[in-house]
Amino acid sequence: MQPVVHFRNVNKSYGSSLAVDNLDLAIEPGQFVTLLGPSGCGKSTTLRMLGGFETPTSGEIFLDGQEISRLPPNKRNVNIVFQDYALFPHLNVRRNVAFGLELKGMASDAIHKRTMELLSLVKLTDFAERMPGQLSGGQRQRVALMRALAPNPNVLLLDEPLSALDAKLRQQMQIELKSIQKTTGKTFIFVTHDQEEALTMSDVVVVMNAGRIEQMGDPHTLYAKPRSRFVANFIGETNFIEGRLKAIDGGLAAIEWNGSVVHANLNGQSPAIDSTVAAAIRPEAISVLSQKPANTIAVSGRITQRIFKGDHTSLTVSLENGQSVVAQLDPVALSAVTGDDVWLTWRENDAVVLAD
Amino acid sequence: MRSYFSDFPKTALQASYWLFVIYLLLPLALMMAISFKDANFVAFPIDKWTLKWYAQVLQDKQFLEACAYSIFIALMTTLFATIIGVWIALLISAEGIMARSVIFALACLPAVVPGLINAISMRIFIRVLDIPTGTGAIILGHTVHAVPFVVIMVLTRLRSMPNNLVDAARDLGADSFVAFMRVTLPYLTPALAGGMVFCVLTSIDDFVRTFFLGGYQTTLPMLIFAKVQGGMSPEINAMATLVLIVTAAIGLYAEHFTRRSRT
Repeated sequence: MQPVVHFRNVNKSYGSSLAVDNLDLAIEPGQFVTLLGPSGCGKSTTLRMLGGFETPTSGEIFLDGQEISRLPPNKRNVNIVFQDYALFPHLNVRRNVAFGLELKGMASDAIHKRTMELLSLVKLTDFAERMPGQLSGGQRQRVALMRALAPNPNVLLLDEPLSALDAKLRQQMQIELKSIQKTTGKTFIFVTHDQEEALTMSDVVVVMNAGRIEQMGDPHTLYAKPRSRFVANFIGETNFIEGRLKAIDGGLAAIEWNGSVVHANLNGQSPAIDSTVAAAIRPEAISVLSQKPANTIAVSGRITQRIFKGDHTSLTVSLENGQSVVAQLDPVALSAVTGDDVWLTWRENDAVVLAD
Repeated sequence: MRSYFSDFPKTALQASYWLFVIYLLLPLALMMAISFKDANFVAFPIDKWTLKWYAQVLQDKQFLEACAYSIFIALMTTLFATIIGVWIALLISAEGIMARSVIFALACLPAVVPGLINAISMRIFIRVLDIPTGTGAIILGHTVHAVPFVVIMVLTRLRSMPNNLVDAARDLGADSFVAFMRVTLPYLTPALAGGMVFCVLTSIDDFVRTFFLGGYQTTLPMLIFAKVQGGMSPEINAMATLVLIVTAAIGLYAEHFTRRSRT
């Protein structure tokens, strides 16, 4: 299938600083794609280049096979939902949504029909004559979304649109956005620095750092099989296992760590024997035992902190090598308290070797 | 609401305020009172009251013509000053403009140059350019004076405008001209209304520039000045009262309008 959006060797620099570094990205139609990364990673610049508000320093951007990187925003069939919504304060909800349709020269009764259809999709028909200033944050968000969808763009761009909402509303909007994407079947490109948001909504997450793509994949793969230390750290909580690679055996790496030899999934990497390697293990993949298990590898440590978090308990275990490991467990699974000696173990494939 | 001087007695503060109000309004009140006096001398006490001065003023062809002339000049001034002022404000707030503060300072200069100096220099200027004194010259002079007020008001409003509004319009298919007409200009409405009222009022009020640049036709301030030189009479008070009421009404309405649309 031809990608709906294709960045080819795109660079964007401001003076001497490189905001986007040789970006190569193809996006399949109909997907919910999230560009995820810390501020300054180039995700917003990437989005603005696609919207037509920034011009690439070099490289090409294709939309539906057509090269568009130098077209002005009004000549591109993409629409943006801005971070602060950017609703026109002098127009009511209906006229805001109709704005793009009026500029297309659509007949006024057709505009009215389409506008009301869109507003009913987000249950805002009763608010059609209200001014943006009279709406709540969530309602404004929905109006901005419908205004951007109204001209029927090939791709909808969303620039951190949920960041101004409170946590409860944000979760609700995440679900709503996802369902609107499903019903309209449009390609959504969503920019955020919030990993939870990215995991909740996306078909594909593109993790960006320093203007480059760190890893791209579906949320589960990114979480379970992070390729780099950056991705492992940015998405969810992680413990790092760092040590000398003793051997490679059947897709597993044997790593010398904290006085024992532990195993981790090679995760497509091929490090050299005797080199220093790093692997990542999620807190919830670690089992904490009060006695040394007989038939599996385990590392010993002492509990330094025990925090009750409602649905789970978070244990911080200090190892002999000075490193702290965080484990997550059922609140009532273990009666051990701070100061107790425990053994940590995990299934070999839950730990994954990282590229750096 | 904040509280200043909270350890002062409240009554003293309020008394000082009312003292100021009296100082401000008493002369105007006296002027208005005389306009109803049924006698030729401008002095107290008033024994008999009348409306005859108003009737006389409203039938005075000279007065009505001067009114019409002043209003015409004010409207033309407002038209030109608004166009020029908005243009300069947009220029100053546009990105990538060099010497922004210099442009701003130059645009504001006419507001602080003494009226007399301004008037004399304009008089010399129009002579150099061979422009005759009269309507055109007056409008030219008034416009120069009014532009800074439009620039300042529009600029203030532009600064509060979210950056993304124009981007959003462009994104939805507007070219930069359509985006300006459909988004920026409506956003500026309160500032434009305020600025335009200000232009009208300063133009109608202006005496010095008109004096140096005017021709044979008299504007309202010139007419009143000429009448005062011929001797005070309650008729002048009636004229002044009418002018005062109309201009104050416009000013207060504009203030109310701009304040309401700010919220």
